[in-house]
Amino acid sequence: MSKTDEPKPEAEADDTSSVEDANPVEWDEAPNNRKAPDERRTVSHREEKSDAKKIVTGEAKYAADYAREFPDLAEAKIVRSDIAHGVVTDIDTSAAEAMDDVYAVLTPDSPEVPNKPYTSAGQSYPEPSPWDLRVLRRKVRFVGDPIAAVVAEDKDTASKAARKLDVTYEEYDAVFDTAEAMAPGAPQIHDADDVENHQPGAEYERNVEANMAGEIGDVDAAFAEAEERDDLTVIETEWETPYQSHCVPEPHTTIAHRDEDNRYHLISSTQVPYHTRRQLSHLFDVPIRDIQVSKPRIGAGFGSKQGMITEPITMALAEAADRPVMVETTRREQFHAVRNRRPARVTLRSVVTEDGDLRALDMDAVTNSGAYGPHGMTVASAVGKKPLPLYTHTPNIRFEMTAVHTNLPIAGAYRGYGAPQGHLAVEGHMDEIAHELDLDPIELRSRNVVSEGDLDVASGILKDKEYGRRIRSCGLEECIAEGRAAIGWDDVEQPDADHLHRACGMALTIQSSGVPGDELGAAHIKMNEDGSFILQTGAVDIGPGADTVMAQIAAEVLGVSPEDVLVQPSDTDISPFDHGAYASSTTYITGQAVKKAAEDAREMLFEFASRMLDEPESAFTVDDEAIVSEATGQSVSLEDIGYESMYGDEVRAHVMGEASHCTEESPPPFGAQFVDVTVNEATGEFEMHDMVYAVDCGVALNPDLVEGQIEGAMHMSYELATGDGITFDADGRPETLGFRDYDMPTTADQPPMTSIIVETHEPTGPFGAKSVAEIPVNGIPPALSNAVRRAVGVRIGDLPITPEKIKSALDDD
Amino acid sequence: MEIELTLNDDDVTFEAARSDTLLDVLRDNGYTGAKRGCDTGDCGFCTVIVDDEPVKSCIRPISQLDGAEVETIENLGTQDDLDPVQSAFVDNAALQCGFCIPGMIMRSKVLLEENPAPDEAEIRDALSENLCRCTGYEKIIDAVQDASTRMGGEADVAADGGRLPDDTCGGCDCLDGGVDG
Repeated sequence: MSKTDEPKPEAEADDTSSVEDANPVEWDEAPNNRKAPDERRTVSHREEKSDAKKIVTGEAKYAADYAREFPDLAEAKIVRSDIAHGVVTDIDTSAAEAMDDVYAVLTPDSPEVPNKPYTSAGQSYPEPSPWDLRVLRRKVRFVGDPIAAVVAEDKDTASKAARKLDVTYEEYDAVFDTAEAMAPGAPQIHDADDVENHQPGAEYERNVEANMAGEIGDVDAAFAEAEERDDLTVIETEWETPYQSHCVPEPHTTIAHRDEDNRYHLISSTQVPYHTRRQLSHLFDVPIRDIQVSKPRIGAGFGSKQGMITEPITMALAEAADRPVMVETTRREQFHAVRNRRPARVTLRSVVTEDGDLRALDMDAVTNSGAYGPHGMTVASAVGKKPLPLYTHTPNIRFEMTAVHTNLPIAGAYRGYGAPQGHLAVEGHMDEIAHELDLDPIELRSRNVVSEGDLDVASGILKDKEYGRRIRSCGLEECIAEGRAAIGWDDVEQPDADHLHRACGMALTIQSSGVPGDELGAAHIKMNEDGSFILQTGAVDIGPGADTVMAQIAAEVLGVSPEDVLVQPSDTDISPFDHGAYASSTTYITGQAVKKAAEDAREMLFEFASRMLDEPESAFTVDDEAIVSEATGQSVSLEDIGYESMYGDEVRAHVMGEASHCTEESPPPFGAQFVDVTVNEATGEFEMHDMVYAVDCGVALNPDLVEGQIEGAMHMSYELATGDGITFDADGRPETLGFRDYDMPTTADQPPMTSIIVETHEPTGPFGAKSVAEIPVNGIPPALSNAVRRAVGVRIGDLPITPEKIKSALDDD
Repeated sequence: MEIELTLNDDDVTFEAARSDTLLDVLRDNGYTGAKRGCDTGDCGFCTVIVDDEPVKSCIRPISQLDGAEVETIENLGTQDDLDPVQSAFVDNAALQCGFCIPGMIMRSKVLLEENPAPDEAEIRDALSENLCRCTGYEKIIDAVQDASTRMGGEADVAADGGRLPDDTCGGCDCLDGGVDG
């Protein structure tokens, strides 16, 4: 593997060296963090998911399942704009209000409805996203904007009452395309005076909510040089991705009520209980202490529940109805009125040597935020920041992002967080370079790609200050080798029929583990008399099995089985603080807090053992629910310590541990995606024979759960590559109203897939772990596009990749 | 209106509105294992068994069900004594968020009663009206194959990638049949 190793200009070399110095390769790893496979008691074992049995018996309780605990529960219907752009000039609520069993009809004028701007994005404080939403809206900016809400004895009554509202609009011209939205004379969607936006580069007269650019080296000079020299090649490509629905199984649901202490209590399907509590407090001017957010089992999130969608209106309705209220969104609302993956258009230019060494990368991304700005700048930034670190050795890199409003549904956070859009461009582009230079696409990547010990500077391309991230673990080479072998890259056999062409395609992938320097996870653990533990963390298990992994980490430290560690679901009254389940952070950040908390408790266990066995604390280790002296072999069971600590004659103290964890580190997991496809050149139809994904997520703390992440993410990634996304008519009305209008793969049409775990050791992660939840969602679009290119010679760069587009491109050839 | 039916082997009478669906009635009466995912019969999360057929309870009017025999996930095993299909889902890690799982299990139950030894294509066909967003279906297919084996009494191990219920394997990549490789 070779890298471009020409000396950098002097000034730049100085800057880089200071960043090098600030991020030394050496890492002071905690003792016992690195365990050989045969030393691991429970981590990297396929432990049963702690909620599995209650899920298969139907006893697991999701937000709506709590409805029966509130006998006087009211239900609500949100009334949404049916025009894409305009102003509600009048709402006649009288007919609805006159109905029996209707408790309240709320409009923007109702006193219970805050008239303050806020963002729904469940982000760290202060939220980077603009405050541009109102709970209910007079000015409407897409079909689906909430303009009123009805609360009644039951859902049917609320729906009937909602249909009786008489809404009058003044309609404005609307715009649905980002290029048109930025053009002179386009309808202006937001007024800067109505929005609190601290994102850089906002120009609301052009419908731009954020614009940023960053550069490493001198990109213009690199392109100028390429014009002069025959041995340098310039390649330019364009890419486009559509809206994608999260298709969360459980629709967003919130129950809100005032409890017997006169506090607000919300049971809500959220990925971010703590952010939600803080944001509700600010929005409603209620002290944080008077709000409790409880997270029950969650029917998955994928980023969709990283934000307040149903919570504010439910809280207002509970106030208005003076009783508990449940808001359960419909599937139709899920598709157009909740959140989606934002469409993007990306152009990428490169300068490359004859040998395939990257000299410059110039990337420009325009994302469609839809009508409002949650996660607008941060996702658009990630389109470049996430994938470019693969090629951080490129001496000249520029990235510009523009987040643009249209009168379409609101985009939000979605598993991958901009990385899938960026990977299509970057990894598709790499194959175009390989094609142009007649190089093997894997060899081209290997020449340029990042590896262990390197300093990644590309992920800091939009930062004001010099930034570097040391790559302390990287299994990409092995991921490529294993994936290549599994897909049969080197022995693809062509079908007998002349019109069928078979080829493999591949793409490299990268993500992060948490937001560097901007996360906090915390944990508290306490022992019961019988030597079992209760673990409280803010880790928000939304389905992948975070609670199980947290139990494994604590159990590994304490020498017990994971079943001996009972993990409590996150609840802002009970759990230590946590930023929430997003940015692939839970295992890496909160997991480290759990490890430290368990170690803290272990110190107390050693103190008790020292007194009970009359040996120094330094003699002890944990083993099989006991504290064992390595010097004498004496041991005392955790149960004996448990009783002694609570009821003993000598010293009484509850064995507990607590810890917080935050870090500037955010180690990237890596992966290699391979697909094997046969394309029919007569029709453009294609068959996916296999999808192989090999991942390096450090030490896989639970291989069953890691495979689950890979397989589920490949399913989503395949859908992004081939599905129609969400479509709209000429007036911006969604044509995708339910699952039957949406191409979510079923058991019958989900192609086969293979997941491979490549173990590395990440010294900064708990027992060597990095993240895995998002990274496998990045690979199928570029790998499939590359496979089709290799099979029949046409490039489909705008998703979805369909037979019609392939056929049309072949006809144009 | 009053509806009389056999629910999980018991004769029951429910008070219901004429517009109620079977799912509405089940959930209002505490049978919350069936989940509401779409209300249009497209996701299968509400699948229960009515007169031996898998039925999407969110689009089945309760008014049509007088005298019907209904079985829900609550009638299968308990956490201490799981039904073989439930055990197979647990042991194959064939679940994540779990919202689709009760429906998926009821659908699988009917499949395995009608066809005790389905091949993969038959399983994929039978489950194709039940969506899952988390798993990519891979481990679910494994679980149904495993359940078929368990119910056939041929072995108590997974046919493909599953493990013994009391597996104590030391972190290897478990191979077919739960053998420690």
